Amino acid sequence: MSVWDVFNGKTRFLEDNMNVDKFVYTLGHGYEKFFNGLKEGKIIASKCSECGVTYLPPRIYCEECLSEITEFVEIKQNGVVLGYTIQNVDKDGRHLKEKVIWALIGFNGVRGGIFHKLVGVEPEEIYVGMPVKPVFREERKGSINDIQYFTKTV
Amino acid sequence: MARMNINFKNRVAVIGAGLTLFRRRMYETSRELAWEAAKQALDSAGLTLNDIDAVVFGSAPDAFDGIHMQGEHMTDAAGGYMKPYTRVYVGGGTGVFTAIAGWWHVASGLFDRVLVVAEEKMSPVRPHPQFVFHHIFDPVMDKPLGVNLIWIFALEMARYMYKYNIKKEDIALVSVKNKRNALDHPAAQVAAEITVDDVLNSETLVWPVQRLDISPVSDGAAAIVLCNEEYAKQYTDTPVWIEGVGWSLDTTYWTNRDLAFPKYLYYAGKMAYKMAGIDNPRKEIDVAEVYDPFDYKELHHMEGLQLARKGEAPILTREGVTQRDGDLPINPSGGLLGVGNPIAAAGLMKVAEIFWQLRKEAGKRQVAKDPVTGLAQAWGDLMQIGTVVIMRV
Ligand SMILES: [Zn+2]
Repeated sequence: MSVWDVFNGKTRFLEDNMNVDKFVYTLGHGYEKFFNGLKEGKIIASKCSECGVTYLPPRIYCEECLSEITEFVEIKQNGVVLGYTIQNVDKDGRHLKEKVIWALIGFNGVRGGIFHKLVGVEPEEIYVGMPVKPVFREERKGSINDIQYFTKTV
Repeated sequence: MARMNINFKNRVAVIGAGLTLFRRRMYETSRELAWEAAKQALDSAGLTLNDIDAVVFGSAPDAFDGIHMQGEHMTDAAGGYMKPYTRVYVGGGTGVFTAIAGWWHVASGLFDRVLVVAEEKMSPVRPHPQFVFHHIFDPVMDKPLGVNLIWIFALEMARYMYKYNIKKEDIALVSVKNKRNALDHPAAQVAAEITVDDVLNSETLVWPVQRLDISPVSDGAAAIVLCNEEYAKQYTDTPVWIEGVGWSLDTTYWTNRDLAFPKYLYYAGKMAYKMAGIDNPRKEIDVAEVYDPFDYKELHHMEGLQLARKGEAPILTREGVTQRDGDLPINPSGGLLGVGNPIAAAGLMKVAEIFWQLRKEAGKRQVAKDPVTGLAQAWGDLMQIGTVVIMRV
């Protein structure tokens, strides 16, 4: 666990770690609907009956009025690119052979969106407002990665 | 307005409170728990989120629920969307400190109406929250010994017993009382009818601390609504006034403390009493929720708060003075030992309990006497801060 380092005959530092094994995060009542929706190839949002705001990802409360939200709705999967970035290096600083496009996808009439990978689009042709749609995996298990990526709507 | 030792502009009232269930593991996310308490508090005050000018949120170490910067994570759920929002944190003292921070938001005149929310979700971390506590210690002096949080309590408890010649049986009475009180609390996690023998026969963890001397780890949330005098008169006929606040920190070198007497709390209490104009706490406090993560800590804290003389708290307990029908009811809610210990939420639960007691809305938990002045207290950081709120009707 710990290593004493002897430096010029002097003790200078001590190594340790915050040895927590893992965290088990519950989805809760809002995200549960979202992830089980993905499993069925659907995008689920929630709608406040008091002020009409539709939230993605779905919440069981409204941030505007703090009312309880009980209405969960499937939204249309056609979205648009609201913003994007192009990844050249990975988190260890290594250059990627193939650049990765990441985009924030918005949906009509919905507050919020989905941040995901954009595939099948050249960096030069992407623009804000570009219509896109999700491509779901064949095998889904209730994860944000059940959506393999978004691609342009043909 | 000046009260001897502290300057402020507005008198502050509590006008609503909310509380979720306290449980070992809740399916609700941290946010969903906080929202439930916040919404309940608003509803009970008859307010909507539009009426709230600012939000104060409190939770203890982020490493329990595994979300760093948990404060920002909670904003929407606590009602803080697009509002001035502040997260406060002083470890176990957080719950009562969140109420204190809410108080200064209003007392200063900066805001009229403030929503105060405290939440804790300890269940996500594996293998056990105890592994998080290990890392609050000094990394080079204490951690290499494999120090465990219960060690501090064991040392304090042993020293307290030695100095005042206190028997384990008398300390166990606190656990028996609080777990029984919690039978009347709808949110309680570990309410039970137990005996002193049950406590004395429970597993010894770190002598003299045994299994039934300790509160559990929990998930849960609590919330209160605060406002200034002008709004309080508009919203309710039964405001509960925050008349005194106090907080104080002992040294962070836990080897350098008086283990038999909680000095941090003596000073925090003195600050709050002076502000509330209280000369004789034992006579003037009608009901108190003191921080009881361990049974001996209720006694320790009663003495630190001058609700008992040094070494006298076990005697008052044995004589029944601290029961709900006694002359000085302590932890009528059932406390952390009975209701549970979602850290920050447990502290604010105590403030909420005093609010309900002073309003006579505590139902089956209502104390027998007619309470006018109540006190809520918590304890935390590296077991060194005392946080105190005094309320009056
Ligand atoms: Zn709404």
